[in-house]
This record gives sequence, structure tokens and C-alpha cells, in this order.
Amino acid sequence: MLALSESDRITTALVMMALDAAALRHQAIANNLANVHSQDYRPQRLNFEEQLSALRHAVDTRGSITPTALAQVRPFIETGAMRAAGSLAEKMDMELVKLSQNAVHYQSLLKALDKRGTIFSLAVNEGRR
Amino acid sequence: MNVPSVDFLPLGAEGAYATKSKPGSAGDFAHWLDQEFTEVNDKLNQADDLVRKLTLGEVDNVHHVMIALDQARISFQLLTQVRNKLLEGYQEILRMSV
Amino acid sequence: MNYLSAFKISASGMTVEKARLDVTAMNLANVHSTRTADGRAFVPMQVISVAKQGAPFASYLSAASLHGAGAQVVGVRERNAAPRMVYEPGHPEADGKGFVAYPGVDPVGEMVNLISTMRAYEANVAALNAAKTMALKALELGGNT
Repeated sequence: MLALSESDRITTALVMMALDAAALRHQAIANNLANVHSQDYRPQRLNFEEQLSALRHAVDTRGSITPTALAQVRPFIETGAMRAAGSLAEKMDMELVKLSQNAVHYQSLLKALDKRGTIFSLAVNEGRR
Repeated sequence: MNVPSVDFLPLGAEGAYATKSKPGSAGDFAHWLDQEFTEVNDKLNQADDLVRKLTLGEVDNVHHVMIALDQARISFQLLTQVRNKLLEGYQEILRMSV
Repeated sequence: MNYLSAFKISASGMTVEKARLDVTAMNLANVHSTRTADGRAFVPMQVISVAKQGAPFASYLSAASLHGAGAQVVGVRERNAAPRMVYEPGHPEADGKGFVAYPGVDPVGEMVNLISTMRAYEANVAALNAAKTMALKALELGGNT
């Protein structure tokens, strides 16, 4: 009934990749916040959402995400255009919002991973944790 | 600010257990057990699906994912306990000297 | 969660903001200084900071190291601010026409800088705390085993 099927493994791989992406995104945000007053600074962002969109369009329901499709998705940090002269405060606020959002997303993924792991260990241990 | 309400999943989980008929004869029990297996499997699949949605950023309410995972786990635990008790009973019968 | 590099990045940001704070405080303290200890006129200063690149060799180890490693102060230089001439004929430092040259410190500008610096400092602290929370949460995976 419950086994580490291909589908389960793919879900786990998905969650791991999303966690990696969130950790990398934090670095980009932290870098942007450290360079609020740097001259000629080019803000950094994570390239992941767009890759996910492509993945989402390629598949729809459970089981349709193939390992090859998953392997194509690789989060990376990209550097944007030089920061336009303007309100530093606004840009800082935007980054702070992203910071919180990312931290919550990371922790929800961790929790989801943990709960799944508990179910698997129940299966392995015949109902004992 | 739009705060989404904490509503339960549309799994019909509360209704499912309440309206389940109690097993009478052996045939009913086997049928019931079969039903349980299917249901637990469905819950597990649903939870897994929601986790994937969370990863892809398609989930509005994170608590739905957490609740689904918990429900899946608890149903699975229940089923495992039933299976353990059945095995115990079977082994006890085997131990009986004729 | 690569908390080591996350901490380093935020720490570097805090260092930069601290330097800016010090310079702003110095400028404000010297609003009425006609000259420094070595006899020269005081000119308001400003901190120049730029982004720090990841270590060059690290890019050979992994593509992920090509991203930035925070910020750093590259210099403190004088602002291009003309002195404020105030008519005080009785002042010992007054020139021939009775004007005293005070440093061209813009108090309002410096206060705005101060607020901006403090907000940026707090933002870096927030980033550090977020990294710490995330890393600690990851340690909780798997229950209490």
C-alpha cells in the first residue's frame, strides 16, 4: 500500500529542491540588504519561479512530473541591472517583505518534509515511530 | 487585508467516519477493511499532492497542507493498529493447542 | 541553509552601516569646528562602500559561489561641500573681512543619512535573525532523535 514509490521519491526531491532554492534566495536578499548603501550596486535575485512555471505548464497532476523534467530545474542567483536612483527606503522595504516571505516558506517546507517523514517511518516500523 | 478563514479540508473526513457502517459478519469486515485501505491511500495521495502544490507555490493556505499531512498520518496509524491487532489475534489462535 | 555565508553577508552589511554611523556622528559633532587638531579646516566626510564579490577561486568550486558576499567599505573621503561663511568679526579665526569659515556640514542631510543608516542596520539584523531561525528549524527535522 505505502511504499517509497517513484512518485513519493519525486515529491521528496521536489521539496528538497524548493528548500535549496529558498536557502539560496535568502542569500540574494541578504546581499541586497547588505548593499543598501553600496555604489553602483546591481541587485540580485533568484531564478527559480520561472523554471517552476515551465515545469508546471509541462505537467499537471500527480505522477506526471518525471525525474528528467525535475533535473532540468536548477535554482541559481542572477544579477540584475544597476539600481536606479530612487527611494532606497522603498527598495529596502520590498526586500524585507521578501525576507519574511522566504523564511516562512522555508519553514513550511521543512515542516511538510518532517510530517511526510513521520508517515514513512510509521510504515517502516509497523506503526511504531 | 484578506485573511482566509481556517476551514477544514473538503475531504468530508468528519462525515466519513461517522457514516461508516459497523462491520457485522466476516464479509462486512473484509469489505470495511478494503474501504479503509482505499481511503487511507487516497488521504496519503491527497497529502502528497498538496505538498507538491506547496513546493510549486500554488497553495494559499499552508495550514491545509499541514492538516492533510496530519490526517493522513493518523488514518495510517489507525489502519496499522487494526492490522497489528488482527495479526495478534491470528497468532493467538495459532498458539491454541487443539 | 548555508548559514555561514548568510551570517557573513549580513555581518558585512552591519559593518558598513556602523562605519556610516560613525562618520555621520563625526560630521555632526564638528558642525562648529573651525579647524582640526593639525590646523587644517574640517571637511565633512562620507563613506564609500561597494559590493563584495565571492572569493575568485570559489567560483571554480561551485557555480553557486558566483553570487555576492555582502558589502565592504572601500574608503572615507571628503565631501565636496563649500564652507559655511558666517560673519563674526570678533572671532579669533575670522578672516580679513570678518567671516569665519565653518565646515559645510548639512545637519538635515546628515540626520537623513543617520535614519537611513539605522534602518539599513536593522534590516541586516533582521536578515541575520531570519537565517538563524531557518538554520535552527532545519535542525529540528526528524523529531528529537
